[in-house]
Amino acid sequence: MNVPPKKRLGPLLLIAPAAILLGVFLVLPYLNIVVMSFRMPGQGTPYGPGFTLGNYGKFFSDFFYIQQVINTLWIGFLTTFLCLILGYPVAWQLARGASAFRAVGYALVLSPLLVGIVIRSYGWTILLGNNGIINRTLTGWGLIDGPLPLMYNALGIIIALVHVFLPFMILPIMSAIQGIDPSLEAAARSLGASKVTSFRRITLPLSLPGIQAGCILVFVLSLSAYVTPSLIGGLRVKTMAVTVVDALIDTFQWPFGSALALMLSVTGAIVVVIFGRLTVMKWKA
Amino acid sequence: MSKPFFTVYCLIIYAFLLAPIAVVVIASFNAGAFLTFPPQGLSFRWYLVFFNNEVFMRAIRTSLWIAAMTTVISGIIGTMAAMFYVTHAGRLKETVRVAMLAPLLLPEVLTAISLLFFVYSVGLGTQNLVGMIVGHVLITLPFVFINVSASMESYDPAWSLAAQSLGAGRFTRFRRIMLPLIKPGVIGGCLFAFIISFDVFTISFMLKGVGMSTLPIQLFDYLRTNFTPEAAAVSTCSIVLTMAVVIISEKVLGLRIHRF
Repeated sequence: MNVPPKKRLGPLLLIAPAAILLGVFLVLPYLNIVVMSFRMPGQGTPYGPGFTLGNYGKFFSDFFYIQQVINTLWIGFLTTFLCLILGYPVAWQLARGASAFRAVGYALVLSPLLVGIVIRSYGWTILLGNNGIINRTLTGWGLIDGPLPLMYNALGIIIALVHVFLPFMILPIMSAIQGIDPSLEAAARSLGASKVTSFRRITLPLSLPGIQAGCILVFVLSLSAYVTPSLIGGLRVKTMAVTVVDALIDTFQWPFGSALALMLSVTGAIVVVIFGRLTVMKWKA
Repeated sequence: MSKPFFTVYCLIIYAFLLAPIAVVVIASFNAGAFLTFPPQGLSFRWYLVFFNNEVFMRAIRTSLWIAAMTTVISGIIGTMAAMFYVTHAGRLKETVRVAMLAPLLLPEVLTAISLLFFVYSVGLGTQNLVGMIVGHVLITLPFVFINVSASMESYDPAWSLAAQSLGAGRFTRFRRIMLPLIKPGVIGGCLFAFIISFDVFTISFMLKGVGMSTLPIQLFDYLRTNFTPEAAAVSTCSIVLTMAVVIISEKVLGLRIHRF
């Protein structure tokens, strides 16, 4: 059967603008940044002529940057772990709790996502600063003599990051639990399993895909977070993303900045793949 | 875990989620010159300072303008892609979906950096808004796509065929059959694209030209050196604006916006 060319071309025209946009402004720039990381550093220009492995050499030979990657990974791990611990019960309540709670709770979990990240981080500076609400209240009650160091350190960054990314943990787990047939839990209970056993043997294993999705999302987002670490950490604690952006904006080291950004992404990707393997293995076993 | 304990636990988490936002709103009504708690009396003083601050007002205008442009472009491209995805993609369906969601899955800071290098490499630079708007379109495209394709789930291609057999042309079929059915998804996706574009930071920060700060950038710059409640007033206005968009769309227009 001969289909007229116009008919076959029509549908492709629908996807063409998106394909061109993603191809030209997402795929090409990502390829470009890989090439950029092998370019020579420039003198007065963002990059010089010719190619080199020196940018990666500089990364691996300077313990400062490796230490920073390790710090960033630690902050990412802790943020993800805390989000999981804090978020799971809420996700369970949103999926299985009384319906009055569910609608309000869902709105409460989603609403922080609608507030810009700069504003949310600013809120934490008001709360955590040396003259912030928490320190003033505790001093006022006579519980502490001087301000607790809550800001300009990793602790403050983790608190704020947990807040910013908690919804991204809660929502996938919530949909995973919603997808579990409640009669499975009821069957376990009727066969004499305690609430804890039914949760441990039925609900938790079946919600693992949601946990996995949430953990990967939060981990990746916290590795590449810029605003929160930069406002809360100040100049004292810098995560990798902050160093990368500063290297590019302030000192114009494009090739080295690209190498740093790619090293961070590759490390993050390796962690995600290992985590994915481990959780799948555990899931099967 | 006993039931009351569990409920209290969840309430604490909700309080934790709302705390920094509530604090910003309360701080904006502070009468004093510094952020102190409890506030030294209530006043709209800092709102007046903010409304008379041309730097912030210009940033708001820039943000609104960029968000409007982004919404139109992203809305059209995203809707077309969603139509292709639902009705024509066939075996490519999963590929199209992953590609359309890619800007959401890739780290924003890396996308921003690579886009910055790219606009310089091709000679666009950052002194026009092209790079910035392209970045915003990339980031908002997944939201339009998700919303429109969700609204097309129940769409039956037979309706379009029926209209075709009755002599309706391609454009008439789109305008009279498809568009009314996917309208809630398109409006929802566009509203969400607008909010995302208005709030996005990293992309704007990397791709802004001199003197073209959006509101979040201006706020960020301000917060690095100033501690007056003016920033809280600016933030509160921004929060009210986004919340208004969501409440109007969900309550008045009766839309359900898909965020995931």
